Amino acid sequence: MTRVKRLPGIAARALVVGLFVIIAGLPVYWMVNTALSTDAELYRTGQDWWLHLERLVDIPGTLSTVPILKWMTNSAVIAAGTMTLSLILSVLAAYALSRFKFHGKGVVAFMLFATQMLPEALIVVPLFAIFVSLGLLNELYGLVLANTAFTMPVAVFILKAAIDKIPHETEEAARIDGCPRSSQLTMIILPLILPSIAAAAVINFFDGWNEFLFANTFIADAEKWPASVGLVSFIGQYGTPLATVMAAAVLFTIPAVVFFLVVQRQIVSGLTAGAVKG
Amino acid sequence: MTLSAEVTERVAPKKRRRDLARYLYIAPATLYVLMFAVVPMVRGVWLGFTDTKLTNPSGGRFIGLDNYTSLLGSEAFWNSIRTTILYTLVTVIGTLVLGTSAALALNRAFAGRALLRGLLTFPYAMPTIAAVLVFIWIYNPSSGLFNRVGRVLGIGEAGWLTDPEYGLASVLIATIWKVFPIVMLIVLAALQSVPEELREAARVDGADALSSFRGIVLPHIMPTLRIVALLMTIWSIRRFEIIYLLTGGGPVETTNTVVVSIYRRAFSDLDLSTAAALGVFGLLLSFIVTVAFFIIETRETRKEASS
Repeated sequence: MTRVKRLPGIAARALVVGLFVIIAGLPVYWMVNTALSTDAELYRTGQDWWLHLERLVDIPGTLSTVPILKWMTNSAVIAAGTMTLSLILSVLAAYALSRFKFHGKGVVAFMLFATQMLPEALIVVPLFAIFVSLGLLNELYGLVLANTAFTMPVAVFILKAAIDKIPHETEEAARIDGCPRSSQLTMIILPLILPSIAAAAVINFFDGWNEFLFANTFIADAEKWPASVGLVSFIGQYGTPLATVMAAAVLFTIPAVVFFLVVQRQIVSGLTAGAVKG
Repeated sequence: MTLSAEVTERVAPKKRRRDLARYLYIAPATLYVLMFAVVPMVRGVWLGFTDTKLTNPSGGRFIGLDNYTSLLGSEAFWNSIRTTILYTLVTVIGTLVLGTSAALALNRAFAGRALLRGLLTFPYAMPTIAAVLVFIWIYNPSSGLFNRVGRVLGIGEAGWLTDPEYGLASVLIATIWKVFPIVMLIVLAALQSVPEELREAARVDGADALSSFRGIVLPHIMPTLRIVALLMTIWSIRRFEIIYLLTGGGPVETTNTVVVSIYRRAFSDLDLSTAAALGVFGLLLSFIVTVAFFIIETRETRKEASS
């Protein structure tokens, strides 16, 4: 009887879920659909509602007409640099924040949190002035340096939350067994938080991968553009077919989505832990 | 986050060296943030007191509060403050309502749930730039999806990104679409902490879905919702790409939030100093919200602890 009673509830839930699938999925579907349309369809007859999957074979050919792979390589270099630098700094900082008492701990924690509310559009103005005088404009490593200031705190939150979960007795036991204090981070803690490090790595990598504002402001040379800036350069420019632009955007999107889905759980815990405990 | 100074232990001289080692762990990250966030910020505040132009970023002389007073006296500035508050409010409410509903709908185990959750996460997971490209095309007046559907349904068409009446709404739709999944994921994680027995008991007592949500689920996820509201607020005040790339602050300044106008002042008007002064106001806005949040948060936790 309860089963019968709950049936309307199940139907309502299915309806709501279905609605959300349409809301979330429609623009994504339309992106792929556009990538598989021709210019004549897009601007004259209107693109078809269904996917022309048979045109997938033409995609590599169309993509070779734009430097998307070159740009994505630049994105990958920026992302890898940002990730590496963020991880080195954040592992040390997270360990200190989780395990030690020291003067100014609250101030450091607040500073890290504050970077998350600092608008990049504000920082980009003075940073531009600083980069001009340091000769960092138009350099990929300049971007790495700028990105890391904003991505590293997120990694600190995630890693600190992970280290907080390890009982202090683990290190006590290791010390009794002769592991010196100075190697406890590398010998004891790091192996235990590998999953969180992987998550922080993915998040920092794709922060660098997706970043647009700094890159758009600091990199003038089209050869050095990351894909985010390269793709935006197509807006309002009619030389390149829209389908090609969309296909390039899809290619740029795929790695970000795949990796996000893999580490979504850690992203959630990192974000909330960062906001609660700073 | 505590600003109160840590209680320092009385240290024996022997422990001194070990204490120094502690600072070695925290020093690199601290120095880094100082160099690439705090120093630029201070420099930004300083720029706001000068008349620096982009064409000569290290020149410029001290002119006192002129930039600030001229901003406070300009209608465009107050418009950008109002736009920021409106954009933030609607984004926060929209993402919280959509995200929480999606989380509630996905909170029961059913076949294919993980798949659906992944699908609903897509907008957040994709690069903002890709989302912007899609929405520019969806909003295209002649061939875009919105107007095509509008024509089919006979409700006509609109200049989604060019008509001052729709500009802000279009930007908000794209923003809420892009951001609501992260609210869903966070609330979904919080819902795991709601004891199933409680909901079961309420159901046996004949409580309907709405009253069981208000009486049992909502109190449990309230602390999470407050954090999410803070995150959404701070992010909305900061958000740049979606707005700037969809409308560039237009049509007729209707989407010209503080952050967008900072960038336009600096890199279109080449006026670094006014941009920096604007940035100070933007930062102030974020700061007020954060302080307000922590006041509410401490009051609420105290209330929960005493009850």
